[in-house]
Amino acid sequence: MKHVIAPLTALFLLAGTANAACYADYKAKRDAPLRLHYGVAEIEGDCTVANAESELADRIASEGWELLAVLSVFDESGLEDRRENAGEFYLRY
Amino acid sequence: MPANSISAIEARRTGTRFVLFCIGAIIAILLVATAFLLFTLPDANAFNARVEQVFVENADLTGQAELRLLEILAQSGTAFADTLAGYRMVITVLLVFATAMLVAAVAALVMLVLLNRRMAQIEHSGIQVNSLILSREEKTVYLNNMAFKLTEAAIETLGVLAEARMDDEMLNGAEIEAMISGRNSADCDEASGATRIKRLRDALGNQLMTELLVKNIARKGYVLAIDKSVIKIV
Repeated sequence: MKHVIAPLTALFLLAGTANAACYADYKAKRDAPLRLHYGVAEIEGDCTVANAESELADRIASEGWELLAVLSVFDESGLEDRRENAGEFYLRY
Repeated sequence: MPANSISAIEARRTGTRFVLFCIGAIIAILLVATAFLLFTLPDANAFNARVEQVFVENADLTGQAELRLLEILAQSGTAFADTLAGYRMVITVLLVFATAMLVAAVAALVMLVLLNRRMAQIEHSGIQVNSLILSREEKTVYLNNMAFKLTEAAIETLGVLAEARMDDEMLNGAEIEAMISGRNSADCDEASGATRIKRLRDALGNQLMTELLVKNIARKGYVLAIDKSVIKIV
């Protein structure tokens, strides 16, 4: 039995790391009049700044926002610190 | 005197060209200045761009209150840009006024120069006939609104000369006699026409008039030495 459980656990662990949620915080703007926002969003692909930039730019553009910069990528542990600052843009996009 | 009036007309023509050139130059300067004003002053977005730059460059500038503050800064910048547009308008209007003043000044200057030249010509020629009105009914000729009473024969002579002047023609004595008496000029002799001219000059004050009004050009005939546009026959 142990022989079976060990590989399974390993499998779950691998799946767990692959599925570990990835988040990014970013800055965006809207023109005329100038509006700025700081937000947090979940990233679906690779957990890198470059990937987050390409993903987020499309997502927020649908509501007229222009991505200025992605500050960092992080996992669940970083969410709570940023909830207050992001305000209404916390996990909105 | 015809030579003089031609030079006066030429002076007026060059004067007009000069005035047009000056006005064109002034308007060109105004247009350049206006274009410079409209295209080089900063626009409303300059301030927004600066605020955006501050927002991106400072990673820890993420608080809600800080963002609202940045937005307010940007808006006040935009309001300032509106004021700038107002200033631009005021400056343009002032430029237009300045141009109008310059145009008026140039026109006045040129008029002054032309007037001076004309004055010099008048001083030179002694008397300038600005209007010659021949009234057959009153048997009077008005030179510059001075009335001279003439005999019927003298009026006829003057009338013939005036009509000839208006057609740019010259008449010799025989032709004058022919036109007044209604006969063929071949049948008239030169002396009787010359006598008519002499009587006309006598009536108007001889020597002075010879030089100024009823001129004799050798081998061509008699002519009124005035600009033809001032002659009026009533």
